[in-house]
Amino acid sequence: MSVFSSPHALSDGPILDFERSTCCLEIEGLSLAYGEKPALRDLTLRVPRHRVTAFIGPSGCGKSTLLRALNRLHDLNEEVVREGSIRLEGQDIQAPEVDVAELRRRVGMVFQAPNPFPMSIYDNVAFGLRLQGGMRKRQRDDVIEWALRSAALWEEVKERLGASAWTLSGGQQQRLVIARTLAVQPEVLLLDEPASALDPISTLKIEELIRNLKSRLSLVLVTHNMQQAARVSDYTAFLQQGELVEYGPTQTLFTNPRLRRTENYITGRMT
Amino acid sequence: MSRMAGRVGRSEGPWPWLAAGSVALSLLLLLALLTLLAVRGLGHFWPAPLALVTLEDGQRLAGRAVHEESVPGGEARERLYFTGNRDLAGDIWTWVPVAEIASRAFPEELVVLERRRWGAFLGRLVALEGEAGRREGQAAWPALQARLAELEALRGERDRLREAVVTPLVRRLERGPDAAAEAELARANARIRELQADMAGDTLVLESVDGRRLTQPLEEVLRALRPNAMSPVDKLATWGREVWRFLSEGPRAANSAGGVWPAIFGTVLMVLLMSVVVTPFGVLAGIYLNEVAHQGRFTHLVRIAVRNLAGVPSIVYGVFGLGVFVYGIGGTLDEWFFAESLPSPTFGTGGLLWASLTLALLTLPVVIVATEEGLARVPDHQREGALALGATRVEMLTRVVLPMTAPAMLTGMILAVARAAGEVAPLMLVGVAKLAPQVPVDGDFPYLHLDRKFMHLGYHIYDLAFHGGDVQAAMPLVYATALLLVLVILVLNLTAIFLRHHLRARHGALPRH
Amino acid sequence: MIDPLPPRPDPGRQRWRHGRDRLATLLISAGGVGVVAAVLAIGVFLAVEVVPLFLESRHGIDWRGLWLPQSVEGHALPQHRWQPEPLAPGEPAHYGMAPLAWGTLKAACWALLFAVPLALGAAIHSALYMPRRLRARLKPTLELMEAMPGVVIGFVAGLVLAPYVERHLAGALALPVILPAGILLAGGLRTTLPARLRRRLAPGWAGIWLMPWLAALAALVLWGSPWLEEALFAGDLRGWLEATLGLDYAARNAMIVGIAMGFAVIPGIYALAEDALSGVPGSLGEGAQALGATRWQTLCRVVLPAASPGIFSAVMIGAGRAVGETMIVLMASGNTALMTLNPLEGLRSMSATIAIELPEAAAGGTHYRLLILAALALFAFTFLVNTLAELVRTRLRHRYRRLEGTA
Repeated sequence: MSVFSSPHALSDGPILDFERSTCCLEIEGLSLAYGEKPALRDLTLRVPRHRVTAFIGPSGCGKSTLLRALNRLHDLNEEVVREGSIRLEGQDIQAPEVDVAELRRRVGMVFQAPNPFPMSIYDNVAFGLRLQGGMRKRQRDDVIEWALRSAALWEEVKERLGASAWTLSGGQQQRLVIARTLAVQPEVLLLDEPASALDPISTLKIEELIRNLKSRLSLVLVTHNMQQAARVSDYTAFLQQGELVEYGPTQTLFTNPRLRRTENYITGRMT
Repeated sequence: MSRMAGRVGRSEGPWPWLAAGSVALSLLLLLALLTLLAVRGLGHFWPAPLALVTLEDGQRLAGRAVHEESVPGGEARERLYFTGNRDLAGDIWTWVPVAEIASRAFPEELVVLERRRWGAFLGRLVALEGEAGRREGQAAWPALQARLAELEALRGERDRLREAVVTPLVRRLERGPDAAAEAELARANARIRELQADMAGDTLVLESVDGRRLTQPLEEVLRALRPNAMSPVDKLATWGREVWRFLSEGPRAANSAGGVWPAIFGTVLMVLLMSVVVTPFGVLAGIYLNEVAHQGRFTHLVRIAVRNLAGVPSIVYGVFGLGVFVYGIGGTLDEWFFAESLPSPTFGTGGLLWASLTLALLTLPVVIVATEEGLARVPDHQREGALALGATRVEMLTRVVLPMTAPAMLTGMILAVARAAGEVAPLMLVGVAKLAPQVPVDGDFPYLHLDRKFMHLGYHIYDLAFHGGDVQAAMPLVYATALLLVLVILVLNLTAIFLRHHLRARHGALPRH
Repeated sequence: MIDPLPPRPDPGRQRWRHGRDRLATLLISAGGVGVVAAVLAIGVFLAVEVVPLFLESRHGIDWRGLWLPQSVEGHALPQHRWQPEPLAPGEPAHYGMAPLAWGTLKAACWALLFAVPLALGAAIHSALYMPRRLRARLKPTLELMEAMPGVVIGFVAGLVLAPYVERHLAGALALPVILPAGILLAGGLRTTLPARLRRRLAPGWAGIWLMPWLAALAALVLWGSPWLEEALFAGDLRGWLEATLGLDYAARNAMIVGIAMGFAVIPGIYALAEDALSGVPGSLGEGAQALGATRWQTLCRVVLPAASPGIFSAVMIGAGRAVGETMIVLMASGNTALMTLNPLEGLRSMSATIAIELPEAAAGGTHYRLLILAALALFAFTFLVNTLAELVRTRLRHRYRRLEGTA
């Protein structure tokens, strides 16, 4: 693995560090609070390109908050106070000249529960493309087919693209949401516990999909399911109470954690 | 709490029964009101049988029994008959002590004539005299029917001529001399005179049951019926025709007879104008409060205030409309644009526009609250889904959120319309008229006359019931008008309830978490 | 499969999209703020119009003069009198607001007296005893009752009910005693029925099957009214009322207004009270029932206290509606500005006075401004009452949520 340099400590735990040039996202000194309630504390980490990076940790540790900070979904909430910087391909996403809509196109996001829009399957996937505009129908049809194929959904829905998206099963809906996100060609895909509302078979399909997608883009996965993190991710970051505790290759972190806190969490001995 | 539903144990005492009784009583009150309106309102149009009553002292009268009640302080009962014949008797009602009735009969030859003057005539038809000679006895009735049909046709032609030919020509001549128009007008007037002449000439010889004779020019007679000779099918047909006349004709005889068409028209037009104003603004305000405004303490307070304005009495809105719209804005408009017609006001008095605006203000909270409820029901993850795909806020709103909220907005609009249709108090201040012969829409530029007064179903009820001359005579019409108003409002409300139910069912299918 | 090219954002289109977003947001904000301001302007307008009344000396109005009795020619003692148009030229006009305020409150009190027991009883029955399916039907039905236009209720009250009650006064006054007795009788009779029949007359459906029974009972009482009057009051109840209790009788009186307006406010009070009652977390009541309390005991000891703020706010909102209702009072009250406690005499409310007199009052004159003062009073009262009710309701909702969290 030539993509990372030797780890060195950035906070109190052993933290994996990557060459700048191999990273898509750089988070530096990020702190975030909802009003008076702090959610993230002085977080620093880099997310490598074309890999799956997982954030794990107990409920309320701030992993979803961190994910939402990466595409500025917190902008909606006026209470949120933040410090530090996040850079996407070297550019600060919080800079005034950054176009939030374009940022969100580049950093796609899939939510915990499937949230297809109340329209047809086709229109769901075409939603982002139509916003961008400048595409003929033929061209758009091709991209939609490509996106649905990439999300491993094409074969199941190609006969009924005009049907309402709400007629699909939960797993299909989640893959449709992934397809919808892929259609606008993001560089990073954020997944917020994408399989937590699904049955085991659908979960496996989603996991397979995640593994297949990393050749195209970088993925960041938030999950509370450690087996899932172990199955699909290349690197794992463990967060607790808004702090980054340990960050390392998934293999190492799960088999040989360096810190007691990490080990306790992974083996289920929660205090 | 319905988990606890089941049986009322015997040990619970009397209170649960009283609680159940209050449900029954409330429903009973509603049912009684609706039944009363339905029976009296629809019954008015039914050709009721005419009784020929002979009293103990030999006096005879023909009439329709209206109601019966006991004489205060005694066992005796009195019956009220509608006897018509204002020109002969001076009064159209007769109280008859029930005990003094010697016999009652329902002879087939009794006729009811509805006349343009003096109201109804009840009695016998003796003869029809006209150019075609005199017809008496059995032959008179068919001849009368035929002649009435002809008259109806002639009258229709005359009215059409007046409306379609004469009025536009007169208007053309007002703008300047025009020889062609003048000639055409003369031709039309000549034709109208001809028609009038055709209508005139016939007279009816009538006889009341107590033997008084009367000659009645046929022109003045609108309809003739022999209710005792009619089969139930005939009666039903007549009933349908009368209902239609009630809905489609204008009022006659100082509103105490005829139909309510101008009031229906005025109500609908006013409500339409109101919804054109209230829907966009209400929706806009709802979107602003829920989606755009900073969700702080201030917005919270504004929201409570808006909600509470729905509870402010409608008369207060009327006062605002009168002070601000009529006297304030209307008065200023008059000074600027209609100075030549001052001091008689154009917009500085109540009218269609001000009434619609006042009611729009009154119903704004309804639309705002409904819109906000609809928006609140759209799950946040739908909004986030759209934003995460790179949509701007407005794109998110127009493409995802608003389509999902549309039924809620529609519900709000329907509820607003239902509320506005039944509201009378503010209109008394800002622009209804007792009798508005001109509807606010006509062929005269600018076609829609926002400054005109208009008639309104609700105000019509109030006016008939409290300002009419003979309340007893107007009662059937009041019932019918009230029934009509209630039906309109019930239908609107049922639509809203259905929509809301449908909405809940649909959102129930949304993925939940 | 070949990956499509990533979209290249067209700067022109991006700029257009953002411009549109900003413009639309601006428009929505402007529209929203404008609408909200317009709606809130009502209070400001009323206040501004009233102020000159007390500042300009030509009106000759002071605060005490409006509410205290004034000396009236021909009367030894000062009188409360509302007489804005002098009876004869040269005589002074009298602007005593007290009779109008009195009439408004009297009408509202009688309406609440009639509506609150019925509405609360209905709410308790439907929240506690009714099967869910029936309740889902009852709510929209009562919503329809709320939608009945005031002018129709007023017409029926003033022209149908008032004369009818005048003729059947004894029967009408007997109904408040006989109907509850009849309900209890029905409950008692039910226990004596054979089991099969008893099962069909389920308590949860009592709201329905009591209807024909009560209708028959009411019809019987009203039909027998003359005999009742004959037997108890020697055939002259009104004479007896006047001689014994000193009560005058007017056909359109506070009682009629109370019934009509009560009819109009029942659904509003019912809806809010029902919400409050059925919102009480089920675990609370179940706890009490598990300890052996009957449903009614549970209601009195646990559910009612928990829901009491909600019920209070329901009554408040009912009061707000009753105070401001115009058409019903206008048509059913006789509009006589009296200050008596007698429920059988007429009254004149502020709202009806505004509706009758404002179109005739000269804009800017004393009379005009006084009527606007009345409107301001109505506005302030209903606004305050509704705000209070809303605050109580919000607090209650929080409390329920907390209770549900801990339960």
